[in-house]
Amino acid sequence: MATTAAVAHPVLEAEARGLVSWLTTVDHKRIGILYGVTAFAFFLIGGLEALLIRLQLAWPDAQIVGAETFNQLFTMHGTTMVFLVVMPLNGAFFNYLVPLLIGARDVAFPRLNAFSYWVFLFGGLFINSSFFFGAAPNAGWFGYATLTERPFSIGPHTDFWLLGLLFLGISTLVSGLNFVITILNLRAPGMTFLRMPLFVWTTLVTSVLIILAFPPLTVALILLLFDRFFGTSFYLPAGGGSPVLWQHLFWIFGHPEVYILILPAMGMLSEVLPTFARKPLFGYVAMVYATALIGFLGFGVWAHHMFAVGMGPIADSAFALSTMIISIPTGIKIFNWLATLWGGSLRFRTPLYFGVGFIAMFTIGGLSGVMHASPPVDLQQTDSYFVVAHFHYVLFGGSLLGLFAGIYYWWPKMTGRLLDERLGRLHFWITLVSFNLTFFPMHFLGMLGMPRRIYTYAPGLGWDFWNLVATIGAFGIGLSVLVFLANAWRSLARGEHAPPDPWDGRTLEWAIPSPPPPYNFATVPTVRRRDALWLTKHPDQRGPGIADLAALVTARGRIHMPPPSAWPLLTALALLVLSAGPLLHEAVVVVGAALTVVGVFGIALEHMPRRADHGAGHDDVNIGTTGLDSRKMGMWAFLGSDWLFFGTLISTYLLYKGRSLSGPTPREILNIPLTSLSTFDLLMSSLTMVLAVAAIQRGDLRATQRWLLATVLGGLIFLGFQVVEFTTFVHEGLGLTTNLFGSTFYVMVGLHGTHVAIGVLWLATLWYLVRRGRIGGSHQAVLVDIAGLYWHFVDVVWIVIFTFIYLIQ
Amino acid sequence: MSSHSVHPAGPAPAHATAAEHPQAGPRTYVVIGAFLLLLTVMEVVVFYVPALAKVLVPVLVFLALAKFALVAMFYMHLRFDHVWFSYLFVAPLLIATGLGLALLWLFGVFGTTGRAAGVG
Repeated sequence: MATTAAVAHPVLEAEARGLVSWLTTVDHKRIGILYGVTAFAFFLIGGLEALLIRLQLAWPDAQIVGAETFNQLFTMHGTTMVFLVVMPLNGAFFNYLVPLLIGARDVAFPRLNAFSYWVFLFGGLFINSSFFFGAAPNAGWFGYATLTERPFSIGPHTDFWLLGLLFLGISTLVSGLNFVITILNLRAPGMTFLRMPLFVWTTLVTSVLIILAFPPLTVALILLLFDRFFGTSFYLPAGGGSPVLWQHLFWIFGHPEVYILILPAMGMLSEVLPTFARKPLFGYVAMVYATALIGFLGFGVWAHHMFAVGMGPIADSAFALSTMIISIPTGIKIFNWLATLWGGSLRFRTPLYFGVGFIAMFTIGGLSGVMHASPPVDLQQTDSYFVVAHFHYVLFGGSLLGLFAGIYYWWPKMTGRLLDERLGRLHFWITLVSFNLTFFPMHFLGMLGMPRRIYTYAPGLGWDFWNLVATIGAFGIGLSVLVFLANAWRSLARGEHAPPDPWDGRTLEWAIPSPPPPYNFATVPTVRRRDALWLTKHPDQRGPGIADLAALVTARGRIHMPPPSAWPLLTALALLVLSAGPLLHEAVVVVGAALTVVGVFGIALEHMPRRADHGAGHDDVNIGTTGLDSRKMGMWAFLGSDWLFFGTLISTYLLYKGRSLSGPTPREILNIPLTSLSTFDLLMSSLTMVLAVAAIQRGDLRATQRWLLATVLGGLIFLGFQVVEFTTFVHEGLGLTTNLFGSTFYVMVGLHGTHVAIGVLWLATLWYLVRRGRIGGSHQAVLVDIAGLYWHFVDVVWIVIFTFIYLIQ
Repeated sequence: MSSHSVHPAGPAPAHATAAEHPQAGPRTYVVIGAFLLLLTVMEVVVFYVPALAKVLVPVLVFLALAKFALVAMFYMHLRFDHVWFSYLFVAPLLIATGLGLALLWLFGVFGTTGRAAGVG
């Protein structure tokens, strides 16, 4: 959609101030700061939860908290640290840095970016509000069924958790889509893929993992929601379901999730080490391939979290093998980091301290991880404190130390101030010592047989000493965080002003002021080499890395920046109402859904010109590096993500096929003639849709309206068929909870129908906008094209459903 | 949507139109639509003919794949559009298919996993 704000002279343009400017910002840098501050606040909350956990376990038979409170503490600690701290802290860096690193002025979809942040904030507040109702989630951050089912999880604890995660998942998914398209399509001229900084590569792979891994979690949560709210038995053995299905679906998400947590920190390290070694990153291309391979292989290892479930030796062996294989690209990265440092002219500053700390601590965590990869060894280690040690070494020792390296490194760029070096080193050493005091003894505790998630233990088991040591260490970590906070406050209040390039950096962000102006680059750079800035400051015989360095801070011509918008915040609020609705009343759900639709329309129509010919003839700002429209790429990426959603649903149907404990069966109830008619109808609506796209591309607006209307009618007829089918089935004795067939059928076909309904609404809106003259002409054909892609996707999903569910019985 | 004066790395059209990307015309779409209808009729016929019961599954899968390909390549323009769109669409489809098949295998749908009886 065309934007209208233009900065005539960037030097004179002052950034808007005040609360409203922050509430309506779409500037990636401000959104990055919002993510960072909010995530750090949740870090403090999660840290307090950890301290309470450690206090309770410091000595045997402690009475600091009871069992129920302890369950809530470790559940919220894990949920907070994964979803509200590490992921959003990574998001803070994605937001702030990626456009700067690729030479862009913002992300591909600035308002969706803001929307992602507000959904994150409200989602985090929603989950944590559960404490005030005495209903904090208490079934572990991984919510294993059947513990999370109604008979065993009484009260709204688990409801807060699953609704909160569904809500937060929207933020993450939208953000992932945004960064995939930003990196693919908004790179500066000359910035080929192999000239991108490695942090951009890790962001790209992480974002791809996000859009592929979150849909299975979404399906898992939806099935759990149906079990808890509507009485289905997706995970309940009494109804034919399998609790192991939850584990599979969760870990199909959960293992890529751990790479989502660690890859960004690896990317940050890959920027920090070369700067402070004054050498290029060793083996850049190998690092790129290793990153991509980790991302890809990450989808093939999930069941190593389930070696104790009883999958059998073949499955165990397959996942053991894939898990060991994934350590190879990880090892490549570690050796390349070491080789980057080797022979370098090292400057020991705080970012480098944290970077080296990352390498050491992550390696320790990785070694224990390889131990877990062996099923017979894992059978001893699983559910013991040995696993707790492992994942804290990779997540705290890895992700968090990497994040602190990034914070110290980019703090001057973001704030325009320097952090105190002495306080930084003090922070590092207290962190390193305390961290190892806390978590290394957990290896011993695990070997001594201490299980996870116990709220106390008897004396004389040999666990007393190391638990006390771990608790002391945990409070040391708390002290280290206070040191950092003191450093941060001091820097912001009276810290030394930072020059544009305090570290003699290698990448584009160091070429512009600290902090950068709203538009980032006065002139978009033309990149000629990798490490472009470094090779401009220190050119070799092949010439500088940037064509015209001075132009990056010198205005030439007009700069268009997206204007602020309140719709992201309002739409996120509406979504909060919708998400909280199931805990309150059905009417709240309806109101929330309606408000969300209004919000979506608000975002979509906010910048649409009053007349279709406005904007015609101007360069389309949505066309990016690839020559393709970012919006169209975004839709394709969304459809790719939706494959994982429907694939999970269809797989669930197929694996539950034939497992219903009672009738009716598909053969007895499915109406093939009726469904054949509805299938014909949907296929023909695809034809009318593509004719509508062809019509608007040739500028025939009457035909466009005609074919759009025909598609809308086709969609409505299909939905009518669905209503007839569902009501007939209910009359014939197949309800949502009748058996597994009913549950899987209604949920899967119902969610497909929901997609159809959204498409009908979308296309009806387009028809109206064409009729009113607000869409017209070939320069806006992409708007109809994108809707068409969505519609055809819904059709191809139905092709799969019709074949595998209706015909292959 | 972002609005910035970023210039693409290489020559790029102002916006993609049917003129810049040769695509099928309305007549072709109608013919494809007729094929889709025909394939669906064939699916239903195969379903109802007892003599074809033994080949029901492979035939239905083939026909479904054919319909899928026609819609994806022609209606979604994958055949005519930039290869990036194919990457964005096909790669997740392959991952989803692989994960789905793995899940089915782990749950014993294909008969052999070596899993313990009664699990999963």
